Amino acid sequence: MAKKSKSRTIAVRLISMAMTGYYRTMIRPRVHRPLSMLKYDPVVKKQVLFLEATKGGKAK
Amino acid sequence: MSVNTAHLNQLPVRLRNFFARYPPQTYSSLVASRQAPPEAEASAEKTLPSPYTPDRDAKGAHKPNRDAYSAARALLYSDPKSPNPFLPKKIFSTGKWLGPKFGLRQQADLVKLAAKYNVEALLPPGPKSTEYKSARLAERGLAIKGTGIGQKVKGHKWERTMEARLEDRRKAMVEMPEMIRLWKQRGHGRGWRQWPKR
Repeated sequence: MAKKSKSRTIAVRLISMAMTGYYRTMIRPRVHRPLSMLKYDPVVKKQVLFLEATKGGKAK
Repeated sequence: MSVNTAHLNQLPVRLRNFFARYPPQTYSSLVASRQAPPEAEASAEKTLPSPYTPDRDAKGAHKPNRDAYSAARALLYSDPKSPNPFLPKKIFSTGKWLGPKFGLRQQADLVKLAAKYNVEALLPPGPKSTEYKSARLAERGLAIKGTGIGQKVKGHKWERTMEARLEDRRKAMVEMPEMIRLWKQRGHGRGWRQWPKR
């Protein structure tokens, strides 16, 4: 029996680097490098850096 | 005795009757506090119970010591020669207790009335007096955990950690421009090493 194939994309969590606990969830291709972007954090009311949180602690 | 009774004639009848029956020169708390036994003062600090004992309901917790010195109870003084009408009295020949001449409700009425006319100190000491109540409150503390001396209210976790979290956030925001500069320098995340853990 064939193995269940993994989906091509995954949902990832981008955490605000302002340490507010605010995050955004995005979808990216599984093989893509981790996401990071400048986005608005409503807690500090500023645009801050958001980095993708790694589930196991490892990243590409 | 130097208790001034000149202005007593202006008081309501109820108080006047009371003071006629129990003259402040003999019965008032001013007189009683002077006659109270002085030996009790010494051990007051040591035996003062903690305002709140968190484990007081726990199994095997010590019951409050009824014989320990209590500053509040020391206020309730009754001279055997002229028994305090606000306190019960033990009759030693029969071993029975005789209730107070004035019940607690009547006492409370009298105390409130006397307080209104600023003559509360002329009443005999009793469990309804302001002095006794404040002394007992000081001894026992509020029966709310954490309100005693040297204690803290535990509060919610978000309240306890708030300061540290705000400090973290402040630091992070101070370092943010530098972090963004680095991030841009390293190809918008291509060379980034320190990804946060989830």
